[in-house]
Amino acid sequence: MATCLTLLLLGALGLLTATGHRTGPASELLTPDPPTQPHFTGCRSREQETFRCWWSVGSFTNLSEPGALAVFFQMTNTLYAGWRECPEYTASVQNECYFNKTYTHIWTSYRVQLRDTAYNITYDERCFTVENIVHPDPPVALNWTLLNVSRSGLNFDILVRWAPPPSADVQMGWMSLKYEVQYRPRNGTRWEKMDLESGTQLSIYGLNTDKEYEVRVRCTMSAFENFGEFSDSVFVQVAQIPSKESMFPVMLLLVFGGVGLLLLLLLIILSQQERLLVILLPPVPAPKIKGIDPELLKKGKMEQLDSLLRSQNVCKPHSAPKDPWVEFIQLDMEDVVEKSETSDTQHLLGLTHLGSSHALSLKGDDDSGRASCYDPDMGAEPESIPPVREVHSPVVARSSFSTHIHSTTTTPEAAGMHIPVQMQPSSQSWINMDFYAQVSDVTPGGGVLLSPGQQSSTPSKNTDMKKKKEDREEDVAEEEEEEGKLQLLVVDSDGGYSSETVARQQAADAASSRVAEQAYHTLSEPPQPHPQAWQGGYLAPDRQPHMPYFSPEAPLASVLPPVSDYTVVQEVGGSHHLLLHSAAPQASVCPPHPLKLPPGEPALPLGYLTPEFLENLSP
Amino acid sequence: NSTTVLQGWLGILFCSIHGMLGSVLDCEVGGVHCTMSIEMLLDRAIQHAELIYRISEETRTQFKETFIPLALVTQQGHADHLCTVILPTPSSKSEVGQISDKWLLHSVLILVQFWINHLVDLQASLDHYDNTPQDLLDKTKWVSSKLMSLEKGLLTLIRKMLNENNLPLDNSKSIADHLASPRTMEHVMRDYTMLSCFRKDAHKIETFLKLFKCRQTDWPGCSFY
Repeated sequence: MATCLTLLLLGALGLLTATGHRTGPASELLTPDPPTQPHFTGCRSREQETFRCWWSVGSFTNLSEPGALAVFFQMTNTLYAGWRECPEYTASVQNECYFNKTYTHIWTSYRVQLRDTAYNITYDERCFTVENIVHPDPPVALNWTLLNVSRSGLNFDILVRWAPPPSADVQMGWMSLKYEVQYRPRNGTRWEKMDLESGTQLSIYGLNTDKEYEVRVRCTMSAFENFGEFSDSVFVQVAQIPSKESMFPVMLLLVFGGVGLLLLLLLIILSQQERLLVILLPPVPAPKIKGIDPELLKKGKMEQLDSLLRSQNVCKPHSAPKDPWVEFIQLDMEDVVEKSETSDTQHLLGLTHLGSSHALSLKGDDDSGRASCYDPDMGAEPESIPPVREVHSPVVARSSFSTHIHSTTTTPEAAGMHIPVQMQPSSQSWINMDFYAQVSDVTPGGGVLLSPGQQSSTPSKNTDMKKKKEDREEDVAEEEEEEGKLQLLVVDSDGGYSSETVARQQAADAASSRVAEQAYHTLSEPPQPHPQAWQGGYLAPDRQPHMPYFSPEAPLASVLPPVSDYTVVQEVGGSHHLLLHSAAPQASVCPPHPLKLPPGEPALPLGYLTPEFLENLSP
Repeated sequence: NSTTVLQGWLGILFCSIHGMLGSVLDCEVGGVHCTMSIEMLLDRAIQHAELIYRISEETRTQFKETFIPLALVTQQGHADHLCTVILPTPSSKSEVGQISDKWLLHSVLILVQFWINHLVDLQASLDHYDNTPQDLLDKTKWVSSKLMSLEKGLLTLIRKMLNENNLPLDNSKSIADHLASPRTMEHVMRDYTMLSCFRKDAHKIETFLKLFKCRQTDWPGCSFY
């Protein structure tokens, strides 16, 4: 061991001095210069079980005959520490010493010397361990398989396989081999080296289809530096696929064309966004009703809208009737009951609301935007008499003229004997008005004296009315008629007392409950338009104490001569219109409000007042 | 990659042995209970040995390149002929084929234990150098840790496969006894020699374990009995 080390140092010194004196293992590093002495050329093991050493005679040709030189070896860590001669000189190969399995020990330092036995001169010496001189045999059975070809057809991948050298006992674990694969194009010069591989296969990617490749492999012991020889090369080539290649540009063109079209479409859509939106999603028209504030049409304001529409509904039919003189007063008992909470005025309003919906015919005028029903146009149109409808129960019309016109509905016996009173316009301005106009007195001349009614003054009457409303029966209606129903009193202006007398008579006759009927009966006579005709119509005040003579029971004598506000009912028109004294508009009515003459009205016959007039007259 | 793989196996190799039932061992990987067979443990041990050997070779090469002047580099580049024999081991394939399984495992265990102790000295010596690369130190530390895990695996294998409960005594010698080097040698050469010897012994360990495994497969080429 120590001598070996000394030799190493000497070798190093030799290198430094560069004397050319070649001694020891450093001799291989120097370029061989003549004359050279015998030396070892190499020692190798193929499978870590045997090894060989070769030497060269050099320039000493006289020593080339066999037996002139001998190889002695020594193993450092065996019991036998002596020098021994080469166990076997290979017969077939010159200058080779073969150490068989018996003499091969791994993990053991060997020391071999080249000696001239004749003169006992040591020409060369080497120290080594067997595992450090192992150069494995090349792998065998190298082959390759095609993995895949790229879409473009320009590249391909292969899988290379091989087998370990048969001499290496890999299975036992005596040798752990690592492999190195190299490849290059056929006509190339530089080899591509792959990483060391522990297994026996390897994939190579990215080879070009238009080239032929050469692949080879070699192996080494794991963690050792000595590679064995290369295996035989295999040649790799893949035939090209022209169809795919020619298709490629066409595909590319199609793809780009499609992308371009998409972009164009996007541009068009973006630029014409608004137009497209209008076409695809047409705007929904907002709800609109002529004459009504659009605000009301918004969600949540149904009540107001409802009331507004109703009022307009009332307006509409009111404009519809061709004959402005006709008035329909209808009382719907159910409606009456419903509105029992409200005042009489409200009742009237409400009733008219509901009653109108039943009775009134709607004219073709659908202009609901008119706020006021009393459009001048409406009155100008002479229209046919609105249909008369039979109402089961008496309807208290909301009379515009300050009288309660209570038209007792026809009982089954007296069909058609009622005086339908047209509904009054239910404009809100009327709601708070007091429609009750009491007939305070009957003039000696037969005129009816009306006084503006007072709601508060007629509580009893109202309660009665309310009671009747609550009963909802025809009988109740009749009771109403009995107790304090309003009756139309048609008094002839001229016939003053005569009419009065007649009225008295009639009143007397009508002491029974059927007075109203009689009155109506009277009224139902074919109307004869002479103002002098007196027809038994009663105009009853709404206040019992104030209707002394208007009610059947009340004596007529208590009628006081009119003072200011009264209208003289002259006659009942053919269609049961009230014909009132023409003076009424001037003096008798004497309401706080000026009388409104419907414009365009043909020459108003004297005393021929429309209920509209009266409506306006009342305060 | 090999480092991480080995570290992954390290957890597996730290087996807690419960009972002597069959060839299934309990182990623990990152707090997760697992089981492995004796064969698996042996495979793990072999992989450990392979990696240890490879790293020892890299360490030696790196040391040589870093500290050994070119002039002193021998032809072979190895100084493992200076290593003393720790214990007589079979040196040829035929001899190895003749030794028993017991002897194989015990030899490996002795070697592993020896180098666990002596690598500590080596690390201490390496720290004394001025320009020791950190990578070199890390490798030596890594190798020490792997050796320890390999030792544990070997103990388990011995216990399971040889049915022995007596562990061989750890009769380690000092590094001075191990290396019969002249005192004139510098520390550098001494360390280099030690690394070479360690590398040789790591190769032994790997070979013995592989041979031991081969014997379990009853392949005729493994044993020469």
